[in-house]
Amino acid sequence: MGEKSEKPFRNPAYYTNRELSWLQFDNRILGEARDKSIPLFERLKFLSITASNLDEFFMVRVASLKDMVHAGYEKKDIAGMTPQQQLKALNTETHELVNMQYSTYNRSLLPQLSANGLHIITQHEKLTKKQEEYLNRYFEDEVYPVLTPMAVDSSRPFPLIRNKSLNIGALVRKKGEEKAEIEFATVQVPSVLPRIIQLPQEIGEKGATATVILLEEVIEHNIDQLFLNYDVICAHPFRIMRNADLSIDEDEAADLLKEIEKQLKKRQWGEAIRLEVEDGIDKRLLKIIKNELKLSEEDIYYIPGPLDLTFLMKMYGMDGFDALKVPKYTPQPVKELPADADIFEEIKKHDILLHHPYQTFEPVVDFVRKAARDPQVLAIKQTLYRVSGNSPIIKALAQAAENGKQVSVLVELKARFDEENNIVWAKMLEKAGCHVIYGLVGLKTHSKITLVVRREEDGIRRYVHLGTGNYNDATAKLYTDTGLLTCQEAIGEDATAVFNMLSGYSEPKSWNKLALAPLWLKDKFLYLIGREAENAKAGEKAHIVAKMNSLCDRDIIEALYKASAAGVKIELIVRGICCLKVGIPGVSENITVRSIVGNFLEHARIYYFENAGSPEVYMSSADWMPRNLERRVEILFPVEQEDLKEKAIHILRVQLADTLKAHVMQADGSYEKIDKRGKKLICAQDTFCEEAIREAEEAKAKDDPAKDRVFIPEKSQIIQEDE
Amino acid sequence: MALKTFAAIDVGSFELAMKIFEISPRAGLREIDDIRHRIDLGTDTYTTGKISNERINELCEVLKEFKEIMRTYKVNAYRAYATSALRETENRLIILDMIKNRTGLDIEVLSNSEQRFLDYKAIASKGEGFQKIIEKGTAIVDIGGGSVQISLFDNDSLITTQNIRLGVLRMRERILSMQVKPSQYEKLIEEIVDNQLEILKKMYFKDRVIDNIIVVDDYLSPVMQNPAVCAGGGYMTREDCIALAGQLQGKNKAEIAKKLGISEDKVFLLFNSVVLMKRVIECMNAKLLWAPGVTLCDGMVYEYAEGNKLISPEHDFEKDILACVANISKRYMGSKKRSESVENIALTIFDSMKKIHGLGKRERLLLQIAAKLYDCGKYISMTSVGECSYSIIMATEIIGLSHLEREMVANIVKYNRIDFPYYHENGEQLGMDLASYLKVAKLTAILKLSNGLDRSHKQKFKTIKATLHEQEQELVLSVDTAADITLEKGLIKPKAQFFEEVYSIRPVIRQKRNYRKQ
Repeated sequence: MGEKSEKPFRNPAYYTNRELSWLQFDNRILGEARDKSIPLFERLKFLSITASNLDEFFMVRVASLKDMVHAGYEKKDIAGMTPQQQLKALNTETHELVNMQYSTYNRSLLPQLSANGLHIITQHEKLTKKQEEYLNRYFEDEVYPVLTPMAVDSSRPFPLIRNKSLNIGALVRKKGEEKAEIEFATVQVPSVLPRIIQLPQEIGEKGATATVILLEEVIEHNIDQLFLNYDVICAHPFRIMRNADLSIDEDEAADLLKEIEKQLKKRQWGEAIRLEVEDGIDKRLLKIIKNELKLSEEDIYYIPGPLDLTFLMKMYGMDGFDALKVPKYTPQPVKELPADADIFEEIKKHDILLHHPYQTFEPVVDFVRKAARDPQVLAIKQTLYRVSGNSPIIKALAQAAENGKQVSVLVELKARFDEENNIVWAKMLEKAGCHVIYGLVGLKTHSKITLVVRREEDGIRRYVHLGTGNYNDATAKLYTDTGLLTCQEAIGEDATAVFNMLSGYSEPKSWNKLALAPLWLKDKFLYLIGREAENAKAGEKAHIVAKMNSLCDRDIIEALYKASAAGVKIELIVRGICCLKVGIPGVSENITVRSIVGNFLEHARIYYFENAGSPEVYMSSADWMPRNLERRVEILFPVEQEDLKEKAIHILRVQLADTLKAHVMQADGSYEKIDKRGKKLICAQDTFCEEAIREAEEAKAKDDPAKDRVFIPEKSQIIQEDE
Repeated sequence: MALKTFAAIDVGSFELAMKIFEISPRAGLREIDDIRHRIDLGTDTYTTGKISNERINELCEVLKEFKEIMRTYKVNAYRAYATSALRETENRLIILDMIKNRTGLDIEVLSNSEQRFLDYKAIASKGEGFQKIIEKGTAIVDIGGGSVQISLFDNDSLITTQNIRLGVLRMRERILSMQVKPSQYEKLIEEIVDNQLEILKKMYFKDRVIDNIIVVDDYLSPVMQNPAVCAGGGYMTREDCIALAGQLQGKNKAEIAKKLGISEDKVFLLFNSVVLMKRVIECMNAKLLWAPGVTLCDGMVYEYAEGNKLISPEHDFEKDILACVANISKRYMGSKKRSESVENIALTIFDSMKKIHGLGKRERLLLQIAAKLYDCGKYISMTSVGECSYSIIMATEIIGLSHLEREMVANIVKYNRIDFPYYHENGEQLGMDLASYLKVAKLTAILKLSNGLDRSHKQKFKTIKATLHEQEQELVLSVDTAADITLEKGLIKPKAQFFEEVYSIRPVIRQKRNYRKQ
């Protein structure tokens, strides 16, 4: 092909399919669940995460691929696979992943839980008399009133089984009529009740700290009560996943969207795309479900254990097992911002780099809160993507508007999970007098930027916060992110221009420091990568370190391959999807990829470019994904103050030195943990925790007036002023 | 607080822009926000003569938002100026009233010369770069939606300024209506432009050497200012400009837009500007092109800051206006000596009468201009000098003067020669409001008197002193001359009559004979 010779680095063989790469990521999380060195309850959490991740993956990605197949869309992906081929490959992989999930659960976690005093009654048939009595009463009092059993016969059609809901399917027959037809009946396990039922200590397993049973077991145990006029022949849990998401995943190409719109009529709305059933389900029962939902065999998952493992997250929260969890980490105060400091004064002195969750997110909340009350503040502008339910930031913004400040908020309603939630507080902000922009047509606003305009004695000064993570005080305790507080005039001007653009005004004539997607960011990255390649060719030192969540943009990967071929040393820290392959002779020999999966979700995006000896460090809300670079509003900002640059480089260095939580990509595309023999054991996340604690303590000690055991008398006010 | 916040709103043909500035004597002008909204008012005006309702609604909505932004910044003052799109609209007054009612904003429509003068001030506000570049022969090419203004500098001052109606939006409408292939555009633009440039060159530039060209526009300037595209930081050589025109030819819009970092709908307008500049450069044989990247808003704030004495200007703009006027006078073969004499007398009288007339610096300038042009009509006819002078002045762009001011000057010159009409009789002929009418009357009175004192055209009143004796209601004009001033003394009566009528002060001539000097 002509294309090949023209673009040698675009050979599909050099790329990994993004869905398969994603599954590898889920597998790495599963690896954590299987890691015996990790506290038991943390492992539960990881397993639960693999399950909820997989659910979302099906609803968004697999659904999307199915759409493509239905629409007859044949375009090949980055790795040269058609949608059909991708689905096929995914099918094998997901089945394997699920098998691994349950083998982890059954063989590893269950016995360990039992040994550590948490007994799970896995089969209702094994209840003791006393337990049965207790649960029967629980069933009558709590469960029965909310159940809606439904039977199917000639007069009653097959009921709608709700997406992601857990159900118990049964085969029933009219009582006393041995020859009557077998009918299908189903009941949804109510999501309003807790999935885990803890039994009272006295009737629990002897010696166990806690004995629990899952709700569906209790319902199954009492299934006769639901169909009084029938004999229940068998009952088994099942769960389906539907392609019910009307919006098509933003990652897909625009031409696909058009194609699908055209085909919309052909699309089977709410089509089931996955069925999970209890392993050993009655064949007749399965056949009915399968036929009704028009599922093919490869979409069926036979589950040797409880369906929907996300309940493990609830189990993690059970009291009494603290010894089996990692002690809760408290985000540390930021040394540049002592408790009684005026945040604006401090920023004026010095830019401040924040590293969450090692350092507290409080300064960011405080930044908005203080601005809301400060009489000198004229305006506050902010982009909000996903905000916590009871966000102090929202409250502060509302207060600011009430205080007569001009408050502009861009609320991204297209954030996938919590649109309804967003609308509620967006309305609230509007009521308070804020100017609310409900997103931009055709673009998702993913950038995280806050601008505070303050009128000071010597004129307008703009304070800006730029971040890699959302303005969400809850997730800021779990996600690793970085943020910059600054009042540099150049960035302030750019920030004003950003909000002018978000308000629908024209682009600025030029940018000082920031680069914005979708218009400029990709070119900027390509330029920065290309510059390293040029430097390498010119015999200069050339080095790229980039940390992000996902890497799947073809143009960027191509540029990286070219840079690698030119001799640039490239170290990538990519948590999730990575379509780039390492170790291809002549293409990517100089590239390494590592993924860190730890207790905190790696989320910061940091980009380092050697630039022939005068390094540049950037941070961004954007990954190297087409959706970030082409269909979202994202911001890239430089970290220029020397000490902060050092700090950012330190973050990258520690992550590159991690020997405990890092998985390194191999030439065959697989990921392997590092062989620890003879190496210093380093866990990057733990290191950052320790460093943050130490730094906070040092700052505290410095401020402690009693530290020298000598009191210092205050000098007279007048003398001080004279000085 | 010494700090002032000022908002400048420019209702342009293709864009609605507002800039917010902070002004302080110490730090000068500091731009703190630049908000622009694309709105094509020009196409409506240039094709139909009216602006559509949709556009007006949009305009009002955005202006309301601007007002809100102004409130946020707590601005102390604002100016809102509209340019050719509104100027040439038939329903201009209705639109302005509508805007006022809906947004509370007062929009003033700038005359072409006022607008260009502001652009010029904006360039001058760039200080050093400007002073340096105009040391050599320089032309400013100010490209607007409706027309292009070309101004010429020599030796640090403005020589002439001419307006050609080849604005980019107007050109676009013209070219698109011709239905030709895109590949022919360049040729077409060149033909239209060349035609006008030739005339300009022959009539006004003559054999001046023009090394530098300063361009002010909304399309080429951003490109030249963009460091990613143009390395010169706003400067471009003749060759680069010609090369750029070549690059634009034959490429598709999307490609150009991406390469130059502009939006696609500006590509054609950019192309237009570049071809125009290329022709100007070639025609004038210039070597260097400079785009200071200023907009009308920059000129507005400069004007405001200067007017309120918040900054001290580096460039003397009044000198530019007068230099320009002197050139007009020269063009119509006015006698420099004579007009200088009249000017001298007029200004002396004006200054001595301050207490009575209460007029300011600006009116003094108008009088000075009128004195410089007081007999330019002679070029056409010896008998109806007044009417001819009036026509010449009204047809000649005087940069820095508003239309009304030009009208005032023309009238002063005209009624210097003929009887002044009373407002209730046919004052409406003057086409101005009462206040301006009265100013014209006062200034005319002074000019008439001054002209009378120089009746013999022999500059006998070179050294005149004017002293106001309020109690006697006399203005004593003492002349230090040995020459015979019988003619002047005799002829002064009718001239002084009008002066007396206006001021109720009687001019009296006293001659001091200084024989020693003779």
